[in-house]
Amino acid sequence: MFRIKYCLSILLAAFVAANLSAQNADISPQRKQAIDSLALEKVRDLSKYISIIGNKKTPYSEATRVMDRAEELFIPGSEMGVSSISTKEVNYYKVRKYFERLMALNYDRVSIQWYDIHYISDLERQPDGRYVGVVTIYQRFEGVSDDGLKYKDTTKKDITIYVERKKTQIAGRTIEFWDVLLGDIRVTETSA
Amino acid sequence: MRFLILFALLFAFIHAEAQLGDEMEDETKFYAQTKQVNQFFRRFNGEENGKGDRYNPGDRQYRNVKLRKKYLGMLFDESNRTFSNDLKVEFAKDVLDKGAPGILDFHGAGWMAEVQTVFSVAGKDQPVTLFMQLEPDHLGYKWVIAKVYSDIFATYFKRDTTKVGQFLHPMSHELQFMNLRKAFMNVDSVAQFASKGFVPEYITLFLYEMKKGTMKFKYVSDVKFHFFQINGWYFELADFNRPGYNTGWLISNLVKINNDRDKEALRKFIYHENP
Repeated sequence: MFRIKYCLSILLAAFVAANLSAQNADISPQRKQAIDSLALEKVRDLSKYISIIGNKKTPYSEATRVMDRAEELFIPGSEMGVSSISTKEVNYYKVRKYFERLMALNYDRVSIQWYDIHYISDLERQPDGRYVGVVTIYQRFEGVSDDGLKYKDTTKKDITIYVERKKTQIAGRTIEFWDVLLGDIRVTETSA
Repeated sequence: MRFLILFALLFAFIHAEAQLGDEMEDETKFYAQTKQVNQFFRRFNGEENGKGDRYNPGDRQYRNVKLRKKYLGMLFDESNRTFSNDLKVEFAKDVLDKGAPGILDFHGAGWMAEVQTVFSVAGKDQPVTLFMQLEPDHLGYKWVIAKVYSDIFATYFKRDTTKVGQFLHPMSHELQFMNLRKAFMNVDSVAQFASKGFVPEYITLFLYEMKKGTMKFKYVSDVKFHFFQINGWYFELADFNRPGYNTGWLISNLVKINNDRDKEALRKFIYHENP
């Protein structure tokens, strides 16, 4: 299922590529929209994976497999910077560690829901030529233990996206496409 | 009996769903929130619609005055009483001037980030302020550290230049400056032998201590931005994480600048440089 999803993602990227000029390094508004869709697709995948990993009913083997898939969405070395309302201190975790902590949370029931709203920034070019942007989404978490203790929070997740033009061979033809990978994520507990 | 239990369970389930649904329903505050600095730029300039979709040059609404006016009204921290409503109106008038509208430029000069960080120095948490600026480099842009401030550095350079204090007499050169030996015996007064106009560059010290491994980064505790891009004005941008609709990146301070001297004094104040 995940492989199919991955192939579809590549095809979508290739479709985006078909509408893009290979010569111009600037990103036109139309191209930006296509890239935004691709970025949102990846962010939605991540949201889904987080919900599966956090779900207490997910068997360990399945959660591990989903963590592998989720990790593939990121560039190597990506980190999560997590803070709460009560302290200014920020804890930084490697993405894999963050998923493992999420899986190990000491609740008997966990509910992770995502607000419909998202915000996508402009894309800015960095010195190496890659483009970088930030997608903001909101998550509602609720954890309940069997003795009735309940914890809930709403977090804002600012997700770095890296956009890069790549080449691939499909049926002997070289196709250029724009690929999106996720990077560092800042997780802030909101007062909402 | 079985029917009753089923009914009770169903009721409990619907109730729980409805409760969670109610909490999830109120997304309007997130729409209202200025979620990113990028969104502050776009709202300030009138470059996006209510859903956050971008307007581009050529779009009818792009930088539309009415749209800008609407956004500008919600870009101030309403809890802040230190700048008056009249001042805000005056600022808005300048920004929305049809002849010369005030537009923020992401790549332009005249804005910077003030990043509050915490470093571990000799096992103790110490606050360090990094002033960051965008700089063009190769194919794009990057944030760079322009200046650094920390009390851990500043304390070493405090000196009173109004008093006579310690000095090297004006004929020291005839003795091959041999009195330097005595001058440097007391490390507390070493700063008195530096030129009156000497301004310490903490960024040099910061890089040196980092390279030596005596300072270890811990985390970023706060970020705000300073803008001098609107002619005749300075404003500060800060993030407000609180309940309600007036949240996110908002103007937290607004000052009218009358001349270049005022501007320079403000800039020095921000950088902790002595006027």
